[in-house]
Amino acid sequence: MDQPTGIHPVYWLYFALIIGGGTVAVTAKSLVRALAGLIITFFGVAGVYLLMAAPFIAIMQILIYIGAVTILIFFAIMLTRSSEGESGSESRSAKTGRIFLSIWSALFVFLVMSAVILRHMPEPLPLKPEIAIARLGEFLTGPFTLSFELISVVLFVAMAGAVLLGFERRKAK
Amino acid sequence: MSYLVLYHLTALVLLGLGIYGITSRKSLVGMLISVELMLNGAGLALVASSRLTPALDELGQIGTLLVMGLAAAEATLVLAIILVVSRRFGTTEVADIATLKG
Repeated sequence: MDQPTGIHPVYWLYFALIIGGGTVAVTAKSLVRALAGLIITFFGVAGVYLLMAAPFIAIMQILIYIGAVTILIFFAIMLTRSSEGESGSESRSAKTGRIFLSIWSALFVFLVMSAVILRHMPEPLPLKPEIAIARLGEFLTGPFTLSFELISVVLFVAMAGAVLLGFERRKAK
Repeated sequence: MSYLVLYHLTALVLLGLGIYGITSRKSLVGMLISVELMLNGAGLALVASSRLTPALDELGQIGTLLVMGLAAAEATLVLAIILVVSRRFGTTEVADIATLKG
């Protein structure tokens, strides 16, 4: 896949996974089904990372997104209830005017940005050789030390904030 | 059409689906799912740009890793906020959470 002349059929498979999963994720009435669509999209994106010879990012995608984030969203679905007392589904369907406006806004952004991409995309190089994970680690602890520390602080603050928010009600009781 | 353009168009499709979802969904959890779609599109565009252009290779991969960390932190906080909102209002439908509405 180093020459951009023909598109490998595997790409279309992953593309179909991404589009299909994403469509289910934003249109399904049941939130659990939407979450399943989201997981399919995550797998598709992980496959595209593999196609780009970035296996470390693909593994991290599967670990962090499919392993952690979807479990969190699943907890959010199961721990809340909609106004009709049923958990995991949207009670009222959106009005057609609202759906029309949503489609229009998404389409507007998509068309403008794809026009920019098609006009101004630089000539692509052939795929570079895969870089070692050790190189990534050196980069993360060398020039990127500050962002590395900052992301750990952000993660800690988010966890501590989540625990604080969860405790609030019990103290008031 | 080159792979670079195709990858970026895929990322744009994810962005468009996310915008459609976040504006049409009625519950907070549905909106969270749409935000995750958009963040995935951002990561895809970053890695594609760094792999197929003269840009530094590590930059895109580490950037995507940081985006994933931020997405995890954001999902944690949003889960806590959704729990608090559903306890206080008894619902997570955005139309019903209207205390600030004049």
